[in-house]
Amino acid sequence: MTTTRHIEMHGVRKAFRFFTLEDLSLDLEPGQIMGFVGPNGAGKSTTIRLLTGLLAPDAGEVRVLGHAMPEGQALAKRDIGFVSDDMRLFSHATLDWHMRFIASIYPNWDEQYAKALVRRFNLHPEQNVGGLSTGEHVKAVLLLALARRPRLLILDEPTSGLDPVARHELLGEFMEVLKDDERSILFSSHNTVDVERISDRITFIDRGRLVDSSDKEDFLERWRRIQLQIPAGTAVPDLPHVVSKVVDGQFVTITTNRYSPDLVSFLGSGVREVQRMSLEEIFVATVMHHRELRGT
Amino acid sequence: MYSGINISQTDSRPMYLQIMEQIRARIAAGDWPAGKELPSIRALAAALSVSVITIKRAYLDLENEGVIVTRHGKGSFVADVNGLAGELQEGKLDEHLAAAAELGTQLGLTEEDLSARLRRAIRNVDKK
Amino acid sequence: MNMLARKLIAKEFYLLRWLIIGSTVAGIAGLLIAAEGVMRFNIGMLMWLTTIVAFGVVLATFAIANERKERALQFVLSLPLSHGDYVRIKVIGLFLCFLVPWVVLSLGAIVLIVVMPNLPDGMLPNIVLLCVFMLVNYAFVLCSALHTTSEGMMTLVIIVTNMSITLFIFLVLGVSALRTDFQGPNPVWNDTFWIVLGVELATLAVTLALPYLFAARRRDFI
Repeated sequence: MTTTRHIEMHGVRKAFRFFTLEDLSLDLEPGQIMGFVGPNGAGKSTTIRLLTGLLAPDAGEVRVLGHAMPEGQALAKRDIGFVSDDMRLFSHATLDWHMRFIASIYPNWDEQYAKALVRRFNLHPEQNVGGLSTGEHVKAVLLLALARRPRLLILDEPTSGLDPVARHELLGEFMEVLKDDERSILFSSHNTVDVERISDRITFIDRGRLVDSSDKEDFLERWRRIQLQIPAGTAVPDLPHVVSKVVDGQFVTITTNRYSPDLVSFLGSGVREVQRMSLEEIFVATVMHHRELRGT
Repeated sequence: MYSGINISQTDSRPMYLQIMEQIRARIAAGDWPAGKELPSIRALAAALSVSVITIKRAYLDLENEGVIVTRHGKGSFVADVNGLAGELQEGKLDEHLAAAAELGTQLGLTEEDLSARLRRAIRNVDKK
Repeated sequence: MNMLARKLIAKEFYLLRWLIIGSTVAGIAGLLIAAEGVMRFNIGMLMWLTTIVAFGVVLATFAIANERKERALQFVLSLPLSHGDYVRIKVIGLFLCFLVPWVVLSLGAIVLIVVMPNLPDGMLPNIVLLCVFMLVNYAFVLCSALHTTSEGMMTLVIIVTNMSITLFIFLVLGVSALRTDFQGPNPVWNDTFWIVLGVELATLAVTLALPYLFAARRRDFI
């Protein structure tokens, strides 16, 4: 039973001309799925490229499956399945050719599973890859990664461009992977509904900085929207952990990221309703708050 | 096997609560008898396409309620407690009554008014 | 890694097979035309020359820049290899892909000269130097393709290398030591020949070594 973390990033920095990833730290344990969420340009793809050895950090440490990256990438990648939504296969070969190719390189290739995925994803192996639509292409790349049964899957927007049926199938395949508590998945996505459903841990990133990283249930329990009705003119007491406060006459809406029942008691009879927030709402509120704090 | 359990993300209740309710419902109905082994956390997670951590939380809370028992290394089982099914049903009843009492109080009804309404409701059930 | 390297080199040959076969056939056709007579000789040899050069250019740009543009590069880099491995495999694989038709067509030209009575054997040293020069040229295009991502730069490299062939023919092969016995019945392997050959081979070695020293050491690949 191995206890090596599958991903360890500490204080990672990567500077480009117009963008810098700063002080990024991330951990992923075996048996977990991490959802990686951030606005466009936040640094998700950069982070993923640092994890897969395409980029080298300017500062800080990146270790994947125990190997330092990018130096150890040749060994690490034996056990990593990396798929990004802008990755393409060789357009002048067939899907079947690619399957033979991958099968000959990776000893864990599962032919039965591959065949099942071909059916499930509705693909045609004899078809030339160049003739595939974007969605089919992504499914083909995912098939090649899934059928090798890698220990760690790193996926950059795996469901973008997929129809709802394909997305549903794919999420099902991800959860099948997690039946093995020695395997893990990190995926970035704009689809907060899917992230909310299947992630064990969630990391928010914005403008090159880590904003929050927690267990999913923790996020959902910490955040609340509280509706108050108080006599006009009454000041709402200054409370810690209030991320936003909107006043509309007698009606006040407070958003907090450290909810507790004590808070409600403290606010007293003015409380009309306490609402849970969806991951999407939490994400937007977190990013807005973070930008406010940084003055950006 | 678990196709009957449905987790809705558009439901206002959090996922872990939905899971707990559906498990409790099956135990209360007798479909899941005392001593029956629950699916492993990871197996249920895969079957429902819901995160492992959510299933873990549901099982943990059910265990704290005494509805299930987890034996380390062996799995989780429906608690072998006499009248558990009935107990769960009664728990559900208490929940409904509490909600009714709350609403009644908000509407300004007295205890007698509420009791009268309850008696009327019981008579309607007998008529069906 | 060796297995992976072999698989990837085999993949180059597989994906480029029509290009390799087509160029070889076109080059041989040029040689056959060249065998027909004086006028046809010029046309045929031009065809032969153009085929080799064009093949090299298409090979280097298609197999490298296109792979990058078509985002298949990301797929290859997701395989269990390092950047250095990728560069080394690319150099070896694409050099071998070029070598196959080059050997066939170079030998073909030599055979043509030896066999055809109307073609003086004195041409042999020059043809040998020209063939090796085209190999060096290709190595240069290949090396450039691995180091630059700019299409403008690659276009410049292609133009310069094309011009250099003409320059080579006139300036180097036109040197008296190599021109005197051109029309003679016997090939003359004089010192000038060996010096030029030596310089060509040294340049080839250096050009092929450059990617190992520079492109392979890059820490950021995209």
